[in-house]
Amino acid sequence: MQDVQTTWQTVLHDLELVVSKAMFTTWFKNTHGVKSEDGIFFVGVPNEFYREWLSTKFHKEILKNLRAHDEHVRNVEYVISKTAPIPSMSPKPQPTMQAKELPLEMSVGRRDNLNPKYTFDNFIIGPFNEVAYSAGQATLRNPGTYNPLFIYGATGLGKTHLIQGIGNSMKIKNPNINILYTNTEKFTNDYVSALQTNKINSFKEKYRSYDVFIMDDIQFLSGRDKTQEELFHLFNTFFDKGRQVIFSSDKHPNYIQGLEDRLKSRLSQGMIIDISKPEYESRIAILNAKCREHGIAIAHEVLDFIAMHVEGNIRELEGIFNTLMAQMDVKKRELNIQEVKLLIKNNIKPKKNVSVEDIIKTIAHFYNLDESLIYEKTRRKEIVRARQVAMYILREDFSISFPLIGRKMGGRDHTTVIHSCDKIKTEVQTDTELAQEIEQIRSMLST
Amino acid sequence: MKAECLLENFKKAIGQIEKVAGKNLTLPILGAIYIQADASHLIIRATNLNIGAEIIIPAKVSEQGIVAVSAQLLGQIASGLSGDAPLSLETENDNLIIKTKRSKMTLKSMNADDFPTLPRVVTDNAFEIPIDQFVSGIRSVSYAAATSDIKPEIASVYLYQDGDQLVFVATDAFRLAEKKVKVGNVSEFPEILLPVKNIGEITRILSEFPGTIKVSIVENQIAFSNETLYITSRLTGGNYPNYRQIMPKESKTELIILKGDLQNILKSMLVFSDKFNQIDLIINPAEKICTMTSRNSDTGEGVVNVEAALSGAAIDTRLNHKYISDSLQSISADSVSFSFTEPNRAMVVKGVGDPSFTYLVMPMNR
Repeated sequence: MQDVQTTWQTVLHDLELVVSKAMFTTWFKNTHGVKSEDGIFFVGVPNEFYREWLSTKFHKEILKNLRAHDEHVRNVEYVISKTAPIPSMSPKPQPTMQAKELPLEMSVGRRDNLNPKYTFDNFIIGPFNEVAYSAGQATLRNPGTYNPLFIYGATGLGKTHLIQGIGNSMKIKNPNINILYTNTEKFTNDYVSALQTNKINSFKEKYRSYDVFIMDDIQFLSGRDKTQEELFHLFNTFFDKGRQVIFSSDKHPNYIQGLEDRLKSRLSQGMIIDISKPEYESRIAILNAKCREHGIAIAHEVLDFIAMHVEGNIRELEGIFNTLMAQMDVKKRELNIQEVKLLIKNNIKPKKNVSVEDIIKTIAHFYNLDESLIYEKTRRKEIVRARQVAMYILREDFSISFPLIGRKMGGRDHTTVIHSCDKIKTEVQTDTELAQEIEQIRSMLST
Repeated sequence: MKAECLLENFKKAIGQIEKVAGKNLTLPILGAIYIQADASHLIIRATNLNIGAEIIIPAKVSEQGIVAVSAQLLGQIASGLSGDAPLSLETENDNLIIKTKRSKMTLKSMNADDFPTLPRVVTDNAFEIPIDQFVSGIRSVSYAAATSDIKPEIASVYLYQDGDQLVFVATDAFRLAEKKVKVGNVSEFPEILLPVKNIGEITRILSEFPGTIKVSIVENQIAFSNETLYITSRLTGGNYPNYRQIMPKESKTELIILKGDLQNILKSMLVFSDKFNQIDLIINPAEKICTMTSRNSDTGEGVVNVEAALSGAAIDTRLNHKYISDSLQSISADSVSFSFTEPNRAMVVKGVGDPSFTYLVMPMNR
């Protein structure tokens, strides 16, 4: 189907021939095609006066011309469209010489993007997130205490819930506060489109007008240098004015790849808190809360079983819980423990069984070394380093015993392994490059 | 068309409606006044497609019909009429002939069929409001609205209901005026943005009518009506800025001055003010010093020691004196208070003992 704008333009050309020039400029200049639906063509007009006149005076003419171009059109409706420019009826007043006055900070029709579903009422606090929670509460009491507040943790652990909860509570406390919740993707897109349309100043102005700025998933900033620069300046403005900024990410800022150092140091100057995986007790608490929320009762042993066996993140826990609910709904009864076991078996990701050899292979590959070199008794510096990192990761991430690591590494003594692990462990604290390497290896292993 | 009516009524109606007609338009018919003679009335109508008005006056109609003549022309003629004798209107060929006891004028008419109809606002939620309060509420703030069309939201007066009060707000981002008017039981006045461009005409016409007026509001249009009057205006779409959050809640420095004194001082400041209307205001309550200074590199400099009650912390700020004097028209109290929080934050102007009017002025940069 033809685009409504073009259709309307051609109709206008035809009408121009029929009506006088003065009539045309007055009545048709500021109209535009809006949409065409079920044979009804919608024409956007500036205001009620136009609608009234077009529908009483020109309706037949318009319909006739429209039908000539699109035989599907059965009727025309006129809608008042805000996008249509309203013709200026009086000569434009000359703007008076405004001195360099501070404009009042006002915004027009803003949206904070906060999801009202995320509140502190349904936020489960456990040892895994209590520090983050109390930092959030402190921020709520005294915005700007920890600036920025940086929350990081793996996916599905409630980062978004926490930071949106802070935003929502702030809004309850002060309904007039201007909060913006955004994520990196949106911010970047906004920035790019501002660049394209040459509206960078209004972009800056818009973001600087908020009282609280919450940005989710900033790990995606990596490599986006200009966006980072913009965020850097934005953050400085907020910081100078003592307005709260909250970030979340899946990594500690120091380990976010491709993040500029000046931004890293800014991110680190406030409070950095991690949310870890919920431990067994918290998982039970979360499941109980879910039961209450949905008003259902599930046997304690079933919940216990789920909490015991689903060790992953909260989202996985929710997934299992929802499946359980759906099953109960279908069967119209509670599930017994056997059925639950079956259910969980199908739903849980099998625990990853990575062999030691695979890990070593990956690490050797990462350092561009031949795998066999790791096992050899050589003391070449780069090989030693790779070997030590491998031992460290095997120990830290996979909890393999020191003697076993020693055996796998070409028959080394377990004390050698202990030494290597300790060495890397201390070096990681100070050597950011090494820390980054390890982070990269970990992400390679986890995929 | 052939009709007779009281000269007085005709003159008044034309005078009220004449300015509504459009000026400098591509379509000449919009610069016309439309007159329709029906069974026992003359319906007189004008519009510029932003605002439309219609006034009905009683008449003895012997032949029904319609005519459209230049508003400017008719305005000039009407203002020259005098006496209370009846006036007759008659169309002949393309002319409108206006006859009084002593005079006869023939006016070229336009094609009345081309005259736009006025949109009728139909709603079940119409309500009555007292004209006096409505007009004074709007006039208390409308001067503070932005004059340019760039941001249509603030080139409007914002109206909303707060309990039994109607709140009027206008701002141009440099100053802001808020007036609360008790209107009693207005059932549900929706939030609207009334374009400031139309406000002059609306209030001018309304203020000539006594009592109350019926207000009907639909999404994009508002209408004021009674038996003899119908005014309709478009409404600005969009949201008004959330101004409540910028209202200062505390004050660190306060100055109270007699309104008359302030007016005199501002008048004298005017002599030396530059094109930015700047005055420097220095307040030091501890040493009981308060001065206003204006200077102009061409004419000179003036300093006034202000006699006023001062309290709070010392402050030194620069303001646009025109913004201050604008607000005084809306203050009926004898004394005016200025309160400040910080040098670069808004100053609040209020009438002492009058909580209904609040005015914010931003200081100027130095």
